[in-house]
Amino acid sequence: MPDNFRLEEMGEMAGADIPAGPLYTLNCTVNGRALSLEVPPGRRLLSILREDLELTGTKRSCEIGRCGACMVLVDGRPVNACLTMAYQCGGAEITTIEGLGEAGLHPVQRAFLEEGGFQCGYCTPGMVISVVGLLRENPSPAQEDIEEALSGNICRCTGYGGIMRAVNKAIESGVSP
Amino acid sequence: MLLNKESSGSRWRIRPDGQDKVSGKLQYLTDMAAEGMLTGRVLRAQQAHARILSICTEAALAVPGVHAVITHEDVPGLNGFGIALPHQPVFCYDRVRYTGDAIAAVAAENDAIAEYALSLIQVEYEPLPLLEDAEEAMKPEAILLHEEGNVLHHTEYRRGDPDEAFGACAHVVEETYFTPRQMHTYMETEGGLFIPESNGRLTVYSATQHGLMDRRQLSRILALPEEDIRVVSSPIGGSFGGKDELNVQPYGALLALRTRRPVRLHNSRYESVRAGLKRHPMKITMKTGCDSEGQIVAHRVRIISDTGAYATLGAEVLNFATEHVIGPYRIPHVEVEGFAVYTNNGVSGEFRGFGGNQAIFALEGQVDRLAQQLGLDPWELRRRNLRQYGDPGPLGQPIAQTHGAVQVWEALKASPLLRAAEDGGCEGEGSDSQPEGQLPPWIVTGTGAALAMHGAGLGYGIPDPAGGRLSLALDGKIEAVFGYEEFGQGLIATMEQMLVEQFGFAGDDLRIIIGDTDVVPDSGSSTASRSTSMMWMALQRLRPEFTAQLLETAAATTGEPAGELKLGCGGVWKGCSLLISYAQLARGLKEPLVCETKFQYPTTPLQRVGAHFLYTYSAIAVRVELNLLTGRVRITDQYHAVAAGPVANPQGYLGQIEGGSSMAVGFTLSEDAVMTGGAYVTKNMDTYLVPTLIDMNGRIQVEAIEDLPEHDTYGPRGIGEIGSVHLAPAVAAAIFQAVRKRVNKLPVEPELLQETFFTTQKAVGSYAG
Repeated sequence: MPDNFRLEEMGEMAGADIPAGPLYTLNCTVNGRALSLEVPPGRRLLSILREDLELTGTKRSCEIGRCGACMVLVDGRPVNACLTMAYQCGGAEITTIEGLGEAGLHPVQRAFLEEGGFQCGYCTPGMVISVVGLLRENPSPAQEDIEEALSGNICRCTGYGGIMRAVNKAIESGVSP
Repeated sequence: MLLNKESSGSRWRIRPDGQDKVSGKLQYLTDMAAEGMLTGRVLRAQQAHARILSICTEAALAVPGVHAVITHEDVPGLNGFGIALPHQPVFCYDRVRYTGDAIAAVAAENDAIAEYALSLIQVEYEPLPLLEDAEEAMKPEAILLHEEGNVLHHTEYRRGDPDEAFGACAHVVEETYFTPRQMHTYMETEGGLFIPESNGRLTVYSATQHGLMDRRQLSRILALPEEDIRVVSSPIGGSFGGKDELNVQPYGALLALRTRRPVRLHNSRYESVRAGLKRHPMKITMKTGCDSEGQIVAHRVRIISDTGAYATLGAEVLNFATEHVIGPYRIPHVEVEGFAVYTNNGVSGEFRGFGGNQAIFALEGQVDRLAQQLGLDPWELRRRNLRQYGDPGPLGQPIAQTHGAVQVWEALKASPLLRAAEDGGCEGEGSDSQPEGQLPPWIVTGTGAALAMHGAGLGYGIPDPAGGRLSLALDGKIEAVFGYEEFGQGLIATMEQMLVEQFGFAGDDLRIIIGDTDVVPDSGSSTASRSTSMMWMALQRLRPEFTAQLLETAAATTGEPAGELKLGCGGVWKGCSLLISYAQLARGLKEPLVCETKFQYPTTPLQRVGAHFLYTYSAIAVRVELNLLTGRVRITDQYHAVAAGPVANPQGYLGQIEGGSSMAVGFTLSEDAVMTGGAYVTKNMDTYLVPTLIDMNGRIQVEAIEDLPEHDTYGPRGIGEIGSVHLAPAVAAAIFQAVRKRVNKLPVEPELLQETFFTTQKAVGSYAG
C-alpha cells in the first residue's frame, strides 16, 4: 500500500488498523488460554478478538473509545479494545465476555438477566465487563463510583434503569472478585 | 399500578433471549462470517450536491485482492429504493444530492484492500447550488432536487373558521418551535452477510423492521423473483425506526451475486452517521387562542419539515405530525398546513415517535403559554380542553374509544410530583432530588408536565397486514411463527409471555420463529407501536381453534373426552395430572397441526390517509434542577402515567418507557446531528451526545393504567413510542417554572439558561466557604 494513501477526513480514521509493517509476536492469554499470534503491532485488539479469534461477544460500535461496546478486561481492568493495539497486550491476561463465569453465568451477568438490564443486548457485553471491573476494584461502590465507572458505556435502549437495578443487585449479592 | 419488578410478581419473567445476550453468545447478523467471505465497502459522495461528470473504477479494479467494483451500470433491475417512493438511487450516475449518496461499491479480500480500492475510484463532480434550508428550497427560484419539485408532500387540514374565531379570542399566543436532527444511534451500525446460494438463491442476513418489504425492494433492484431471496433480519442491535429503510442491503446483495462469494458489510460509525436516516428537523409555527374561560377556540399551525435528499417515509411522518399538532384537545376551529421539503441535508425518515415528538413539543408549549396569559394552572387548562370518551380523533375521525386522556390526566394530577409542586415544596420520600434548602444557590428547580395521545399502526389507506401461525411441530414443540423482528424491544419475550399466560404453555414448550422470510407469514412491519397489539389480536383469533385442535387430537389419542381436557405446561392435562405430553401428541401426527390467521390492523373509516384509529395516552411530570452557572439541566424525577390497556409484558413495558424517555432526554437536552454545507459536523459519539448513566440518574416512575372499556376488543396498545414523545415540553415547562424563560428550540441551549451574575457577586466563593 502506498505511503501517500490517506483517508480524506479524520472522521473516517475511526476504526482503522494501522497498516502492516513487520509482524509482532503477541504472547498473551485470552480467557485463560495462552496464545501466540503473529500480527501487525498496530492491529487493534478489537480486530484480533473479533476477526482472528472469532470472539464476537466484544462489539464494534463507535471505534473511538466513547461507547464502551468493546470493553474487555486487560489484567483485570476494563479497557476499550478499539483503542488497544497488539503491542500493548504482550504478556497480558485478557478476559472477554465469553471468559466470564466459568460454570454458567457470572453473578453480574445473572443480575443483568434477572433485572432486565438489557434490551437489544449490543452494549451488554461491554457494560457487564465494566461492572465486573468496577466491582473487582470496589465491591461496594457508591452511586458516584458507579456513574464514574459506567460513564464510558452507552446504552441506547434501556435508559439505564434496568442497568442500575442490575448493578445494585450484583452489589447486594456480593460479587466475589 | 406503579410498574416494577416487585409489583409484577411472577409476571416479571426472564427474557428468552437474555441468556445469550448477557453471555455474549448471541450472534448478531454483523457478527456472522462465512467461508471465503469478502468485505464490501461503499463509496459515498464527496459533495452534497453536484453533477457527476465521470466515474472511473479501472484503477480500483486493478488492485490485487479486489474482486468486484460495481456502479449504476451493474444494477440489473430498478436503480432505486425507498419504501414509499423508490427514487433514492442505489448508485448515483448523473447527480448526488447528499453526502451519503452511493456511487460505487467494492468487494475485496479484506477491509484494508477495500478501503484502498475506494480511494482509487475517480469521480469528477460539477458542484450545484446547495439547499441547506427547507424554506429556501421552497422558493420558486430554488434549484429543483427532484423533477416533481422540492416539496415531497403537502398536508392541509381545516375545520371551522379560524380567521373569524381568532378575532373573538380573549388570549392568543404565537410561537415558532424548532426541533433537532436527532440520530437513532443504535449501538450496532448497519451491516450484514450476503450469501449467494448454490441453487441460485440469495440469502440476506441484515437488519430491517420488515423483512418482506426488504425482499420486495431487493427483488426490484436485483431483477430476481421474490421467492429467490431469503431475508433473515433478527437479532438486531437496536433500530428505533432507523433500519426500517434499506441501507447496506442493495450493495451486499449486488456484490455477492457479482462475485459469487459471501460478502459482509458493516458500516463504520461515521458511515452510519453519513448515510443513515435521522429524525426530521421541523419548524412549527403555531397561533392558538382561547376565550376568557380558557376554552381553546382556534388553532393555526404551519409545519416545515426538512426531509433531506430523498423521500423514504417523509410524507407519512408529515401526515403524522399534521394529526398530532391538534392532539387530545377539543378545538372547534383548526387550520394546519404542512410541507415536507427536500434539501441536501442527509435523509430524514422514520424514527420512534414518527413526527409526534416535534408536534407535541409545539402543541404542549402553546397550552403552557396560554395558561400563563390566563394566569391559570397549566394542568387545569388542559382539563378544560381535554378530549372525552366519545370524542372523535384529532382529524375528526372515528377512533377506538377509551377514557385514556382523562385517566392519564387524573393520574398525573394525583402524582407525588404534581402534588409537591402545588404545595410549593420539594417531593419528600424516595425522591432523588435534594431538599431545596441544601442546594447551592446557582441550582434552581422547577416542575413541568405534558400530555399526549399517540397513534399506532400505519393509519388509513396504507396496507397494514397482520397475522401469524401456531402449530404443533412434529418434534413436539409448539411453534409460533410471526413475520416480526426483534431489535431489543422484547417482542420474543412478549410473545412467549402471551402464549404462557393465555394458553398455559411452559416457556420450554415453545419455539418462537420470527424474522425469516422463507418461513414467516406476512405479519406486517415491526413499526408504529403495532406488533404487540397485532400479536395479541392474532392469538385471540387463533386460540379457540388451536386449543380445540390440540385437545381433540389428545382426546383421539388417549380416548379421554375432549371436554375434560385442558392445555398446560408440557402437554394436555386432565384435572391435576398430565395426560399426554406435546411430544407424545406429535408422535401420532403425519403433518404438523397448523392454525393460521390473517387480518388487517384496525383503521378508522374516515378516508384520510394516515389517520389513526388506536391511540395510546400518556401524561408526564418532570422535576428538573437547573444549573445557572453551566446552563445545564438535570432531570431528577419523571412520572409517567400511561393508558395503553393491559400490560402484556411488565419488564418490556417498563423498559420501553424508561428507554423511550432516555431518548427524549437526548432530544431535549443534548442531541443534534449538526450539518453545515451539507456535511455532518458531528461524525461520531464524541460530539453527538447520547445520554449516559449520569444524565439518567434521576428517578423514573411508571404508572400503567390498564382499564379499557368493557366493549373494547383491541387489547394492549403499543407502548414503544409513547415514552419518548412528551418529555421535551414537560422539561420546557419545568424550566419556565424555574427561571421564567420559554424554550422554543431543542436541544435546550445552555446559553439560554446561563446567568453570569453569580461570578460578579462572588457567590461561588461564599458558598464554598
